Amino acid sequence: MKAVTWFGTLVISEDGEVEECCLLKKDPELLAEHMLTAAGDEYLPVHGLKLRELALDCDFVDLEEEYDVLLREVCISTVKRQISMTDTDDKHIIQAVEAMDDIDKAANELSERLTEWYGIYFPELELTAEPMARFVARFGSRENVPEGHNMFAKASSSMGAELSLVDEDLLRNFATSLCGIYDTRKNLEQYIMNNMGAVAPNVTDIAGAPLGARLISLAGGLEKLAAFPSSTVQVIGASNALFKHLRSRAPSPKHGVIFNHPLIKGSPWWQRGKVARALASKISLAARMDVYGSAHDPSIRENLERKVEAIRKAHPEPPKKLSTKVTQPGPGRAGGRPVKKRGGQKKGGMNKGGKSIGNRSGGRSA
Amino acid sequence: MSIEQLSDGIFEVITDDRKILATRNLYPGHSVYGERLMDVDGVEYRQWDPHRSKLGAMVLKGFDIPIEYDSHVLYLGAASGTTVSHVSDILADGLVYAVEFSPRTMRDLIKLCDQRPNIIPILADANKPRSYAHIVETVDVIFQDVAQPNQAEIAANNSKYFLENDGHLMLSIKSRSIDTVANPKKIFKDEVKKLESDFGVEFEVLQRKELDPFHEDHLGVLARMFVEDED
Repeated sequence: MKAVTWFGTLVISEDGEVEECCLLKKDPELLAEHMLTAAGDEYLPVHGLKLRELALDCDFVDLEEEYDVLLREVCISTVKRQISMTDTDDKHIIQAVEAMDDIDKAANELSERLTEWYGIYFPELELTAEPMARFVARFGSRENVPEGHNMFAKASSSMGAELSLVDEDLLRNFATSLCGIYDTRKNLEQYIMNNMGAVAPNVTDIAGAPLGARLISLAGGLEKLAAFPSSTVQVIGASNALFKHLRSRAPSPKHGVIFNHPLIKGSPWWQRGKVARALASKISLAARMDVYGSAHDPSIRENLERKVEAIRKAHPEPPKKLSTKVTQPGPGRAGGRPVKKRGGQKKGGMNKGGKSIGNRSGGRSA
Repeated sequence: MSIEQLSDGIFEVITDDRKILATRNLYPGHSVYGERLMDVDGVEYRQWDPHRSKLGAMVLKGFDIPIEYDSHVLYLGAASGTTVSHVSDILADGLVYAVEFSPRTMRDLIKLCDQRPNIIPILADANKPRSYAHIVETVDVIFQDVAQPNQAEIAANNSKYFLENDGHLMLSIKSRSIDTVANPKKIFKDEVKKLESDFGVEFEVLQRKELDPFHEDHLGVLARMFVEDED
């Protein structure tokens, strides 16, 4: 039997004796290279071997200790190579998406703090979040607002407390940092817009850069996204609702983060499930083309648009059957829910951060 | 503080009010994941948190740990090396092959390997034992903690390849990764049954216990591989 091992290729007889051996040089880097390429070799052993004994038999090493030390060194070197090979572009997209989420969280907290603090000095300022941070960073005290600025009237008649120089410095500093965070967020957004086209041209075409990036991030990589069935793509980001559905009798979610796609958002509620399915299947297709296939193919998008058009034509009116069971659902609003309520069941599928996966009206996955 | 040995390399440090599971630190002065280091009679021990380690929980649940100081162990699902570090402590004169599939966690594991001479890291899929058959020799013990839906199959296939005749398999079965909704007890029963006969290799289950309160919905299994006489 011919067998490839990490230290060379052996021919082993039925009773386990080494008949022939072609050994490699005892150079860790060379051995690591071989270990890596051998992992797909057709002559890999078909069952485990007493490699240590074989290595001693054919005089690759003289002592067991030498075997251990060399094997360890080679394995560590191999693994380090493997790790550096796994750096792919979609990893950077994932980091960017997650960094954006972190920034949103941080910016929210900091801007709330700024609102509270600056509110002591200038409660009439009706700005929030970024405009507020920009305002404070620029002017500091309300007395610095120049005539002609649209806040001038409010600033000069404010009931707020006086702002000492020290406090002004501090607040301005704080606001400037916050502005920096907002700038970083824009950079990240830009990065995703610029790079998604190269990382996943087809997914970007179908889903758009931000949504495509988010799907890749939630899936854990472009390859994983491509490996998912499209029914999974349809509900990525709605895991809470999905598991509630599997565990109890809650309705299944119709859409996860793909809800943010204009085709779904812009559809009336009774079409959304159908559109979501069509969209998910095309995203799956696009991801697979991006991973295994070739360049950008505009026909996927055209097919999707045709399909959605057909859905719109086939279902122009809300289904009648449901309206007897359901209190009138406001299209596009979280109004409708089944009359028959089940114990303890909350409205399924509301994800944190407003990525809605609402189970409107009867809530069957359409 | 005094010390009591439970099995090869596994100790309990006895303080005034409690007993702490620990292993002798192979790399003194260094803590791997923030665990406590304790000095007893000039020897340094590392606390072994059973809540973070299935193997640690199995020790406290009364399993007869088959790992001896000079064993060769194949560890499937090494993750970032929390448990592997304790196995490495136990194996004063042995070796552990640590298989992990995720490059991200391997990044942490490799740091541990740099410090300890008896861990051999392998970045590979435990589903495909053949892809590391050119590296791993036959071993005395296989420990598996992979949280995959086909855990029994993975264990059986690796045993077929790498387990010594009469070698031991230690397995942690996580019911949640097989079916999130079904009853864990039923899953455990099915998985053990599958393991015993479904994959062309037979096991004799020596011990099986649930790992609560340390790990919920996990079953620990200790089995010995049966090898039929060929004639």
